[in-house]
Amino acid sequence: MAEKKPTGTVLVAGAGISGIKAAIELAEGGYKVLLTDASTQIGGILAKLDYQFPTDHCGMCRMLPMVGREYGSQYCMRKSLFHENIEILPFTEITSVQGDGGNYKVELLKKARLVDPAVCNEMGECIDVCPVEVPDEFNHGLTKRKAIYQAIPHNTPKMLLIDREACTKCGECVKVCTTNAINLDAQDEVETREVHSIVLASGVKLYNTREFEDAKSYAVSPDVVTSLAFERMMSSSGTYEGGVIKRPSDGKPAKNIAWIQCMGSRNRRQKRDYCSSICCMFALKEAVLAKEKGGPEVDTTIFYMDMRTFGKGFQQYRDKAVDEHGVKLIRCRVQGVMLKPDGSLEMRYFDPETNEFFVKDYDLVVMSTGQIPFETHKKWADLLNAPLDERGLLATEQYSKIKIAGKPGLFICGSLMGLTDVSEAMSSGIAAAGEATNFLTTLGVDILKEEEIAEPTAHERENSLVSVALCKCGEKVGADGIDYELLSAELLRYRGVGEVNVIDSICKAEGETTTNDILGKTKCNRLLVGACQPFMYRRKLKNVARKAGFNSSMVEIFDLFGIARRGMVEPSVGDWTLRAAREVKSDIERLKYKPALHVSTLPINQTALVVGGGIGGMQAALSLATRGVPVHLVEKEAHLGGYLGNQVEHTIDGLAPVAMASDMKLKVFENKNITVHLNCEVEKTVGTLGSFESKLHFKDTNENTYLHHGAVIMVTGGHEGATTEYGYGTSDKVLTQAELKKGMASGNIDAGGLENVVMIQCVGSRQKEGRHYCSRICCMWAIANALKIKEVNPEARVFILYRDVMTYGFFEQYYTKARTAGIIFMNYSLENKPQVEMVEGNPVVKFMDTVLNTEIELPADMLVLSTGVDPEESNQRLADAFGVTLTEDRFLAEADSKWRPIEFQKVGLYLAGTAHSPMPLKSVIMQAEAAAQKAYTYLSGREVHTAGVISKVKDALCIRCQRCINICPYGARSYDEVEKCIVVDPAECQACGACAVECQNNAAEVTGWSDKQLMAAIDAKLMDDLLMSTAE
Amino acid sequence: MDLQQGSIKDLWKAIYNTGDLHHCFNCSTCLSGCPASHGDPPLLVRNLARKVILGLEEELLNDDTPWACVSCSKCEEMCPMDVKPFEMILAIRQWQSANDETRVPPSIVEIYKRGYTQAVGVNTDLRDKLGLPELKTITNNPEQLQFFREMLMKTPVVSANDYMFGG
Amino acid sequence: MELCLFLGCNTPAIRPDVERAIRATMPVLGIDLVDSDNYVCCPAFGAFPSTDIDSWLATSGWNLSIAEEKGCDFVVQCGSCYSSLRMGREHMMHHADKMARVNELLEPTGRTVTGKSKVRHVSEVLYKEIGPETIAGQVKKSLKGLHGIVQYPCHTLFPSEVVGFEESARAPKGMRQLVEALGATVDSYSRELQCCGGAGGFMKSTPEQAIEFAKTKFDAILDETKADFIAVSCITCLMHMENVQNTLNKRVGEERYKIPVFDYNQLLALCLGFDPKQVASICNVSRDSVLSRI
Ligand code: SF4
Ligand code: SF4
Ligand code: SF4
Ligand code: SF4
Repeated sequence: MAEKKPTGTVLVAGAGISGIKAAIELAEGGYKVLLTDASTQIGGILAKLDYQFPTDHCGMCRMLPMVGREYGSQYCMRKSLFHENIEILPFTEITSVQGDGGNYKVELLKKARLVDPAVCNEMGECIDVCPVEVPDEFNHGLTKRKAIYQAIPHNTPKMLLIDREACTKCGECVKVCTTNAINLDAQDEVETREVHSIVLASGVKLYNTREFEDAKSYAVSPDVVTSLAFERMMSSSGTYEGGVIKRPSDGKPAKNIAWIQCMGSRNRRQKRDYCSSICCMFALKEAVLAKEKGGPEVDTTIFYMDMRTFGKGFQQYRDKAVDEHGVKLIRCRVQGVMLKPDGSLEMRYFDPETNEFFVKDYDLVVMSTGQIPFETHKKWADLLNAPLDERGLLATEQYSKIKIAGKPGLFICGSLMGLTDVSEAMSSGIAAAGEATNFLTTLGVDILKEEEIAEPTAHERENSLVSVALCKCGEKVGADGIDYELLSAELLRYRGVGEVNVIDSICKAEGETTTNDILGKTKCNRLLVGACQPFMYRRKLKNVARKAGFNSSMVEIFDLFGIARRGMVEPSVGDWTLRAAREVKSDIERLKYKPALHVSTLPINQTALVVGGGIGGMQAALSLATRGVPVHLVEKEAHLGGYLGNQVEHTIDGLAPVAMASDMKLKVFENKNITVHLNCEVEKTVGTLGSFESKLHFKDTNENTYLHHGAVIMVTGGHEGATTEYGYGTSDKVLTQAELKKGMASGNIDAGGLENVVMIQCVGSRQKEGRHYCSRICCMWAIANALKIKEVNPEARVFILYRDVMTYGFFEQYYTKARTAGIIFMNYSLENKPQVEMVEGNPVVKFMDTVLNTEIELPADMLVLSTGVDPEESNQRLADAFGVTLTEDRFLAEADSKWRPIEFQKVGLYLAGTAHSPMPLKSVIMQAEAAAQKAYTYLSGREVHTAGVISKVKDALCIRCQRCINICPYGARSYDEVEKCIVVDPAECQACGACAVECQNNAAEVTGWSDKQLMAAIDAKLMDDLLMSTAE
Repeated sequence: MDLQQGSIKDLWKAIYNTGDLHHCFNCSTCLSGCPASHGDPPLLVRNLARKVILGLEEELLNDDTPWACVSCSKCEEMCPMDVKPFEMILAIRQWQSANDETRVPPSIVEIYKRGYTQAVGVNTDLRDKLGLPELKTITNNPEQLQFFREMLMKTPVVSANDYMFGG
Repeated sequence: MELCLFLGCNTPAIRPDVERAIRATMPVLGIDLVDSDNYVCCPAFGAFPSTDIDSWLATSGWNLSIAEEKGCDFVVQCGSCYSSLRMGREHMMHHADKMARVNELLEPTGRTVTGKSKVRHVSEVLYKEIGPETIAGQVKKSLKGLHGIVQYPCHTLFPSEVVGFEESARAPKGMRQLVEALGATVDSYSRELQCCGGAGGFMKSTPEQAIEFAKTKFDAILDETKADFIAVSCITCLMHMENVQNTLNKRVGEERYKIPVFDYNQLLALCLGFDPKQVASICNVSRDSVLSRI
């Protein structure tokens, strides 16, 4: 036998959402993960946000794994994250990285918290007695906190710590701490760990209005806040507890609120010539929410330069914000804010729509601050000895946003790629995990495998008899709190209890052995464990119980200490014990009536189907195939490569899609694991989870083939939109960007002979009739073509008529470069579209210049139209075949636009690239990699477990109103036309309970949460209250 | 306005030939805090930048607003694209002066005459009373003044309009 | 420390008492002033800088050569002179061809320029070189009990990398600290950083609007502060802020606007014990209300 291989270990540096996502993906794949964060807590920026566009809710928990979730623990992600394979190290900095190529020694500096979370009982008396008050950074200084504090108000466990800078070492907290958790002299610790791969997810430094000079003319009052601080002002855990938004200075309700965009970004003078990508959507969302919270009399104005609504659904959101919510958008960058004696904030601006100056007072001004990327990139480059590119950012491999150039095993994700929205953070986290997995596979390290334990069926039909195990938590709680003897005695008398055992530390190895012994001997058939923090041990204890022959649904764990203590100011031992008894009894009742739940296991067919043979499709196929997964690659055309891979020689960011595609084609055809099917489409798919049969229809031969597969990745592309506007089709002098590009490449168009070229952007795009979305790449395409013309003929005049220039992120530099080259950008509005007339065979473009406020006539020898990207028309057939839906714009509708961008509600189905929405090539590749990773993790699980806790239909009570079908967020419920009843897909149902609440007839019920159980639990509590009060 | 007829493509090179001008992205920062934008007609720096870029010669020659600038340079400080708008204003004035003699500021004739835009150092009584020393002005130093004038005479606008300077 | 005094035209011609105040105060604080013989117009932005670069830089070069000959830096009070000279010098320093051209033009006059002498504003010298604390230590008659507001000369703030010396051009502190050093209370108000509007052609081309613009500032001063005086450090600010008040009074038909305006060196001179008749006698808005209280 070969010697035991080490377990693959990955350091994920940075526990913002992309880091967490990467960590979860890797952990689910069986790797060990060290998840560090330099700040005191995990969650990054998102821990601060209650609301995300477009739902204007949180939804962070949706990033948790969707399969086999009752073995894991589902929990509010903003509180904390628990996974057996993830070791979380907040407040930890990486001070050095040695080694190379899969063998890294990382030096970690674990900063002293001064409060030991393992000992702390979270009573928080220490906080009450601490005399030091400092501004709370979590609420951006809008509130105060003590020197000993909880960094995030909604965190669990609370993870108290002491701010060493603020602490005066007065020792008051030490005096009141009953568990000796505080050590004011604790020192930072240095630890060296070995890892095989590193994913950088640290995010970047954010623009700080106190630090940078250009913010000083705005930040003149506490009522001028950053967009993140504004999130805290809206948050229910924030400054105003979710209520009316007020001015921090005097608490007056904020009626007039203004946002100033691009604070710190898009500033060539300050050497920050980039866009921060997310702030435009952020501001729109905040303005909408401010209106919703404050009512119609709240006035919201966003001062912007270009409203960058480039992503999926962004434009719709903008239109809704303006048309339905009345958010005002004014294209003007104001020079500063003036603080008036009554606290109001005066701004003077020029409104290009009316061509007038206005002076207005606001109650609150929000600065849409962005990123400061260079410092962070420099820091990492130095630590990793990795190269920076000419922009000063970590250099990545040519086609990758993820792989650090020349450094195998090192990856980046999240906002290190430029500030990302949630959806991109998710895709990048998964993709980074995918790349790391690819890398680890080549290293030949091992993964952690879960022991296979069959779900026992013993005891099921017997009458309920509960074994109660109470944890003493070392001596941590026993001493001052519960009288275990009294409690045991009390519980033993309770009906349905077979035995009561007190265990020392149930979470430790000894505790586990003791539990094992008890379960080995017991006559009982249900187990109720009282310990701390059930979400941390649930999975482990259920496994212990299962090994001992218990169905895992017959095991419950509850928070003995927390519950018992809640609301008691200074509990005496007696009170405490009685309270605990009451709580336990209630839990006993619930457990007693709980049915045994069964999980069925379905094998997964180990083959993947990739639909779409463009660059994204090939990327996904190759990624899976090199990891040993057999792939069917289906393409409707006669050749692979898709639109980009066949038509586009070069992109503006230096990629060569055609060359890349031909390279990939070779690899695809060489790979034994990939079977290519050309000229065909998926016509119909049958089967369920893990086992699909798809019918392929070949157009040319009219034949059909049937494929069997366990997962599907849909990577259908798109094509340039068509138009009849602006004289297109009437003259060869009016063409599209793609036609121009091709013409110039083939030499059919002589750019040197062009003197006046006019380009019109957003043709048929970003308008309600037509493509109601930004195609995201046309601004870049236009700039690339315009630069090409300028390169051949610097004397040519090129005009680009635009609505908003969508060069988000670091693409901004191409916009700047275009202006450096003398390309002239002129703004037009949708209400006032340019008019084109043909004069002597040449197009003349007339439009209203919004700067000079005059009609301009541009005679052109060529008019080029940016007609955007249309989704493949085959998307509809694909959606029908797999039972997924399309968006209004005919792209595929993913499970959740923020948190699950590359999955569908149905497990085993994934999407990537333009099938999702138009995006630049590098993003396509990244998403394809992410989808491959998802599919890989899914397939390598080999089988799918349907959930035990799911919703059921009580057919006799159901009146078929179908309300539950509409309410179910996972599409788990449907109406069976044949049986004429409501059915629940056990694999899709996530037991959220929405249906149970919605159902007016009690016909929808989640197992384990029946009325009977809950009533019994409530009765138990009330009865005990009665007993206790009579006893007193 | 027809840009074919009404504009000179390379006019910007004659007016403000820097690598900065074309970076203007019409953000209006320069306008929003400019003192002279309160004037009537207002001085609209952003619009001037666009006129220069487009090469609107007629319009620019007839535009008085650059002369309303108070030279506070606030626009220069605030312009995120580093267009250096105040320098552009001066450049437009220079171009106007070079192309339209009526634009030549009379003050330069004064300076040519006596070294300053106004008489300096003639208020000797008052200065005496305040206990101030006599000023050694160039006005009172014919040799130096001559040097100064000869020097100026070699510069473009003075020499092109020498008739104004009595030469 | 020796500095070469560049007076410009307005100060010696119209407000020689300011000149007197500078000449009186600086030596007390350890700055020896030498005169700039045969200096010429700075040149004013409306003059050569508005006609061509050559004449602008040649004129700047002429002036700079004087300081260079004396081997010291210029000290300037007038904002426009300061900015024009400084921008001119900056231009030459960054464009070798321009520097060469200027020297070519200067050559027959027997002058040369290298850029070795810098151009410094008097408020910078007071704030950075001498410092508010030293000044406070020298005060003989304090402004205690008086409220003032300060007017930062735009030309000493923007563009910050060319003319600036404050830590932050957008939130300057110098003038405030200098006036506080004399014992006065400096009130803040919303339009503290609003330009006086007096320079350039604004007043000439659209006087109505320019007055209206200044009115917003004065109304803010009256509404929001208890200002007994306004401290400036630029001859244009000084003259304009007085004249505007008189014009405004005529407009509203009452003596509403009557806040005395002082150049900082005048206030300094008064606090150092110099005779008001010499250092602060010329004004268009009566200063008695302040002078009587020092
Ligand atoms: S344009 Fe870019 S930098 Fe400016 S606010 Fe919008 S997203 Fe942020
Ligand atoms: S519990 Fe109900 S609403 Fe929730 S996923 Fe299941 S069926 Fe849908
Ligand atoms: S501030 Fe600069 S970039 Fe903005 S409009 Fe003015 S000149 Fe153009
Ligand atoms: S320098 Fe001139 S154009 Fe610029 S803000 Fe001042 S007055 Fe306006």
